[in-house]
Amino acid sequence: MSAIDFSDPATIAFLIDALTAAGVDGLEISRSGEQLRIVIASSGEARIDLADNASAPSTMVVKAPMAGYFCAGHPSRPTASGSLPRPVSGREVLGFIRIGPILLPLGVDRPGILTKRLAEPDALVGFGDPLFEIELPS
Amino acid sequence: MPDAFDRTSAAGRRFDTVLIANRGEIAVRIERACRELGLKTVALCSEADREAPYGKTADSFLCIGPSAAAKSYLNQDTILLAARLTGAGAVHPGYGFLSENAAFADAVEKAGLAFIGPDAASIATMGDKISAKRAMMAAGVPCVPGPDTALPDDPAAIERIALEIGYPIIIKAAGGGGGRGMRVVPEAGLLHEAIALTREEARQAFGSPSLYMEKFLQHPRHIEIQVLCDTHGNAIWLGHRDCSMQRRHQKVVEEAPAHGIAPEAIGSVGRACVAACRQIGYRGVGTFEFLYEDGAFYFIEMNTRLQVEHPVTEMTSGLDIVQAQIKVAQGDPLELVQGDEQCEGHAFECRINAEDPDSFLPSAGVITGLFLPEGPGIRVDTHIHAGYRVSPYYDSLIAKVIVHASTRAEAMARMRQALAGTRVDGISTNLPFLRALFEDSAFARGETDIHYLEQWLKQRRAS
Repeated sequence: MSAIDFSDPATIAFLIDALTAAGVDGLEISRSGEQLRIVIASSGEARIDLADNASAPSTMVVKAPMAGYFCAGHPSRPTASGSLPRPVSGREVLGFIRIGPILLPLGVDRPGILTKRLAEPDALVGFGDPLFEIELPS
Repeated sequence: MPDAFDRTSAAGRRFDTVLIANRGEIAVRIERACRELGLKTVALCSEADREAPYGKTADSFLCIGPSAAAKSYLNQDTILLAARLTGAGAVHPGYGFLSENAAFADAVEKAGLAFIGPDAASIATMGDKISAKRAMMAAGVPCVPGPDTALPDDPAAIERIALEIGYPIIIKAAGGGGGRGMRVVPEAGLLHEAIALTREEARQAFGSPSLYMEKFLQHPRHIEIQVLCDTHGNAIWLGHRDCSMQRRHQKVVEEAPAHGIAPEAIGSVGRACVAACRQIGYRGVGTFEFLYEDGAFYFIEMNTRLQVEHPVTEMTSGLDIVQAQIKVAQGDPLELVQGDEQCEGHAFECRINAEDPDSFLPSAGVITGLFLPEGPGIRVDTHIHAGYRVSPYYDSLIAKVIVHASTRAEAMARMRQALAGTRVDGISTNLPFLRALFEDSAFARGETDIHYLEQWLKQRRAS
């Protein structure tokens, strides 16, 4: 599932319309590194706060969501992982966790620079083991 | 439901890698037994245990989930996945967590792995206190007076059962254990309220409102018998332990053998336990727990797993119980027959817990300094070291100090010396409490029952 970009004006406009139509007073969404708050004023005007959390790190680490074998790219495209550093988009699949025939995609929900691969290809990794380091734009 | 499980099992298949589905000192203990048998090990951890020392000595070490036990050490699917990923051929559940979970034992064997423990049917039979009592009565094991059936709904029928047993009685949840889901009823006027409360507790805590009733013994000791069975019909008992020193139904100090009990009296009970094991097709290690009062034994439950206190029996018998259960899981016949086993000297075990010695509240944090006792007849089973962070997520047991000597008095003296030489800095432990307990004269004389420690603590607080 791809992550929604809450800094996208079209997304915010859509949410305001939906909240207003539903008669909802506001909405607050927090996730790693960012927070979106929309308050629908009584006059129908919305106030929007979109902020990076003060404690957000300048780098983020993508960790294994479960135990399995780490694939730096899709097994059918062995060269897909490319050289580092390289820019990554906010919806890119960086690699996979392989469990038998199943490939679990490792996604990133924000754009940045993929600077390091922290696990060896085909290594057995556990839950929470660091796999990629991404430098986030300031 | 025993019949729900397939009795064809993976036990007896050779394996070269054991996955240890546990943590803490027992993970270290199992790893040691595997290494001595030439087997490889897979250690698991949660996020909180990433720095566990046994991770460095195991052949593989894998984090399986977040710190909460429900998402890691109790997560059956994740543990089975870890076994598959690492190529383990067997799962050792240790104690606690999934060790007495019949569905897990079944899932392990259905996955083609050996479960180092009894089969799912035995676990299920003995996990239900009513079916366990029925099985024990059928095998001639002495039980606490009371029917081997669940209490009926009819209040008048319940009153009749209580009168037949005689007050005081105790109401227990069929699915309970570890001291939970039970209520003492001293007189008839309090019976129905106690039934209603315990039934609701049982429904909420164990998922079943089923209750049973027994005679409440006023001053019993907690005596247990260690058994070991293989898959070839051989079964032996390895002596007995006294675990009467309990606080809130949790054992604090254990010893072997249980002092002051005539060998011929306990011998017949041991033989009945072995007969019961053969009757239910039991395999591996197990412990029959009894209350002992006025020279009579009364079965209370069977633990279908390795016990925390197994080292005291190892010290007196000279047998490595963990190795023995692994060999049974590989299909080896027992190396001992009844009569070969021995009981030499006396052993004590103290559970060192990370807890306040007065309030008994858990104490988490970093161990800044650690001094463990050494010397002849002293053994320490632990996973901690200086710099180790004691997690607030799990049981507070951080070490077991075990001593062995020729006599009970000498073993007590050795334990005093061992406790004096033990120091854990940076967190609170129950060491001061244990040191004081080993100075108690009634304990030294062996004049204690399962209620003694609570009374001793009450007097200590009052003074």
